[in-house]
Amino acid sequence: MIKSCILLILFFSFSISADILYEFENLEDEKRFYNLIKEVRCPKCTSGSLASSNAPVSEDLKQKIIELIKKGKTDKEIKVFLTSRFGNDVLYNPGFNQNTYFLWIAPILFLIVGLMMFVIRKK
Amino acid sequence: MKVILRATLITLPILFFTFFYLYINEDKYYPGADFRTFEMPIFEINNLYDGSNISNNDLRGTYLINVWASWCITCRVEHGFLSRLSNEGIPIIGLNYKDKKDDAISWITKFGDPYELIIHDLKGELALDMGVTGAPETFLLHNGNVIAQYRGEVNKMIWKDVFIPVIEKEEIFNND
Repeated sequence: MIKSCILLILFFSFSISADILYEFENLEDEKRFYNLIKEVRCPKCTSGSLASSNAPVSEDLKQKIIELIKKGKTDKEIKVFLTSRFGNDVLYNPGFNQNTYFLWIAPILFLIVGLMMFVIRKK
Repeated sequence: MKVILRATLITLPILFFTFFYLYINEDKYYPGADFRTFEMPIFEINNLYDGSNISNNDLRGTYLINVWASWCITCRVEHGFLSRLSNEGIPIIGLNYKDKKDDAISWITKFGDPYELIIHDLKGELALDMGVTGAPETFLLHNGNVIAQYRGEVNKMIWKDVFIPVIEKEEIFNND
């Protein structure tokens, strides 16, 4: 019985190893990388982040981000690089500029209108 | 106060619907088109045929840069139109994207070569620097700057609606 158990274990034993996907010089860089890829949209996907995508262009972009981090670029510089290549849509968090100001101001406008209505109704 | 409120309540929905009406009815709107100008990234990559170096110095002037690959089915679809453009005298540079050299050469031998020269971007490095997300994509390069980009198949309609306005505005390719 024991013999056959050992045989069975040997038969089904296999080695499990994980390759290191991305290599970093320190933990801080690794953290930055994983935060960044959550904030960047995969240019080829409907609305997935780089972190969620294995599309070839996403893999390339992840490698590029690692390369830029290793070169000592800041998160802001990396985002500027990405938006200059792939447009503002590549970031989930749209910056405040002439194309997006309405997006940012609209909720405040609606709130003011709502408050005005409320006040007038009360009167 | 009430007047202001009434005016706002009427104006806001009108503005809202006008905005969407104009947005939806914009017939020259192509999601794949991009007209942001950016400088051509600095590169040095091999020529597909002979492996010689191609760099920014070889791309002085005005060119279409077409990103293609032998594995790309849409590239096959647009190939006829590119050949026509090339026959009409539009200089086109091929950017062979993530493709095996042999596959690329046999593809181009089979279907014809509309390109003045072909850059073999095996790892897609230059393509990534240019903001390429896949093939096919076409860029209009003028004096070292990319002035128009289209993601997807270039055909007669796209050429007329996306590229021709820029070409006319910049007064380039005047010889045709």
